[in-house]
Amino acid sequence: MVAASKSKAEVDAEFSELYRTHLRDVYSYAYYRVGNHHDAEDLTEQTFLQAYRHFERAQRESAGRPLRPWLIRIAHNLAANHYRYRSRRPQTSLDESAPIAALHSTEELVAGRDELARVLDGVKQLPDDRREALIMRFALGMDNREIARALGRSDGATKVLIHRAIKQLEGVVAVAEGRG
Amino acid sequence: MSPAGEANAGERGVEPLLRRALAPVEPPADLSTRVTHKLESISELAAEELEGWELAAMRDPRNWVRPAAAVLGGTAAGAGLVLLRLHQRHRDRDRGTVRSAVERVSSSARKLFASR
Repeated sequence: MVAASKSKAEVDAEFSELYRTHLRDVYSYAYYRVGNHHDAEDLTEQTFLQAYRHFERAQRESAGRPLRPWLIRIAHNLAANHYRYRSRRPQTSLDESAPIAALHSTEELVAGRDELARVLDGVKQLPDDRREALIMRFALGMDNREIARALGRSDGATKVLIHRAIKQLEGVVAVAEGRG
Repeated sequence: MSPAGEANAGERGVEPLLRRALAPVEPPADLSTRVTHKLESISELAAEELEGWELAAMRDPRNWVRPAAAVLGGTAAGAGLVLLRLHQRHRDRDRGTVRSAVERVSSSARKLFASR
C-alpha cells in the first residue's frame, strides 16, 4: 500500500524541527570552514534554503536515517562553490577569540590560549578534507558513519582520514611548539 | 553510548585540545530570525504558486503554444485527410477515363474485325 503523501503543513513542521535542531551545527561547520562570521551567516542561510527545496526528497531517500550529514553535505558543497567563486582559501583568519571565549573561564583562557591557538593554526594548515573531517568530529560531535555520509566516503576511508588528520596535526603542533 | 560519547572515548594527545579549540559556535540571534522569515516567505510563495498554477499557466501566453500546436496539428491532419480523399477521387476519375477510352478502342476494333 502506498503511504499517503504528507500535507505541506506537516512537511513545514518537520523542516522547522530539523532547522531548530541543527542550526548550531550548520553554523559551527560554516564558521570553521569559511573563517569569519559574515560568510558563515550567509553560508548557513543558503544551506537551509537549499535544504528546504529538497527536504521531501531527502526524507524519502534517507529512509529514517538522521539528516544531519545531508545538511552538512549541502554546506560543504556550498562552501566549495564559495571558494571556487573566490578562487582562494579563507583570507580572514579564524576569529579565535569568539568561540574560545564563549566557552571557557578567564583563567583557562590565559593558561590554554597559546596552546589552543596553535591547534587552531594547525587545523588551518591541513588539507581541506582532513580539516573538514576534524571540524565534523570535534566541533559537531559527528561519529565516523555520519562524517562518511557527509563526505561521500566509506566508513573505513573516513576512519583512516581522521586518523591521518590527527597524526598530521600532532606533527604540525609539535613543530610550532619547537618539539618537532 | 551516544555518537558524541563514542567520539570522545579513548581521546588522547591533541584530541582534547581539538575539542576545546573547535568548540561549537552559537549562531547570532538575528540569523535565526532572518532565516525563519525567509523560509516562511518561501513556504507561503510555494503554497500560493501551487494554488494559482493552473490559472497562471493559462494566463501566460508561453503556455498557449502546446494547445495551439495541438489544434494546428489536428487541423493539418484534417486538411491532409481531405486532400488525400480529393487526390484519390481524381485518381479514380482518371482511372475511369482511361478505362472507358480502352473500352471504346476495343469495341471499335471488335466492330472492325466483325465487318471483315
